[in-house]
Amino acid sequence: MAHQAHAYHMVDPSPWPLTGAIAALLMTSGLAIWFHFHSTMLMTLGLVLTLLTMYQWWRDIIREGTFQGHHTPPVQKGLRYGMILFITSEVFFFLGFFWAFYHSSLAPTPELGGCWPPTGIIPLDPFEVPLLNTAVLLASGVTVTWAHHSIMEGERKQTIQSLALTILLGFYFTALQAMEYYEAPFTIADGVYGSTFFVATGFHGLHVIIGSTFLAVCLLRQIQYHFTSEHHFGFEAAAWYWHFVDVVWLFLYVSIYWWGS
Amino acid sequence: MAEDVQQKLEQYRTAPFDARFPNQNQTRNCWQNYLDYYRCQKALDAKGVDTAPCDWYKRVYKSLCPLSWIEKWDTQREDGTFPGKI
Repeated sequence: MAHQAHAYHMVDPSPWPLTGAIAALLMTSGLAIWFHFHSTMLMTLGLVLTLLTMYQWWRDIIREGTFQGHHTPPVQKGLRYGMILFITSEVFFFLGFFWAFYHSSLAPTPELGGCWPPTGIIPLDPFEVPLLNTAVLLASGVTVTWAHHSIMEGERKQTIQSLALTILLGFYFTALQAMEYYEAPFTIADGVYGSTFFVATGFHGLHVIIGSTFLAVCLLRQIQYHFTSEHHFGFEAAAWYWHFVDVVWLFLYVSIYWWGS
Repeated sequence: MAEDVQQKLEQYRTAPFDARFPNQNQTRNCWQNYLDYYRCQKALDAKGVDTAPCDWYKRVYKSLCPLSWIEKWDTQREDGTFPGKI
């Protein structure tokens, strides 16, 4: 019986890339159908298929790595490169929205009154909830680092505590931001100020939710003894993503909330 | 000083080069002079002084600005919806 004479992982055939592609197609065309024909059926179907794909694909990766031992050092290196490249692509994604913000705010047009914030816009006080949000995310950066060190030192209980605290701080940020959105004196429809504000902070909030979910999955895995003190790349990837989300917030805070007020 | 302004107004042909706005896009030039004219009017009126020096700004914006912009801004000022600070 032949067995592999190399340390790499030749993945077994999987249906999830196909279902993922179909899900993406259904979501995008479903969006167009919703806009023109007022039906959300196709889009919802796409969303469900996406969630199922993500759940099963990542479940399979955990099975291959944690249970079957396929994630040797070179394989893990590849996964690291992958996560770094993905986060880099997300950096460029946000760069675009920052470009849009600075384009409109550095040279405000006559329609806005030639000033920024535009005439009639009451910006949020950067030293109220936004400052609290900054503190919350910075604190969560500390707790996730604490969690990492706990994993590396084999401290199971501390890992669970610090990871849970990180997730709670993430939820606190989301709750505070949701309240800010509700109470804000301006909306997304309020000119270019509203557009740049809600699109940039909105995508950031989405990334906070994604990051919190990733960390929550890590918490469940930690409770189920998936991580060792030497090998816990899933957690590291989640921590990198979480730091990225924190850094994006810092840029948002300084640019839009503080300078932009 | 008033004689200089009078002289300048008499010799006026079109808006002279303004180093504050050196590039092709002259929108800001038009906008700034429109604002400056009405700010000048408001300030000198408040002091009860002759507003003739303000006419320079009026000449410049009338030369530079598209008529539709001037009409739009005049209407906005009447309605109280003009976004600029006067």
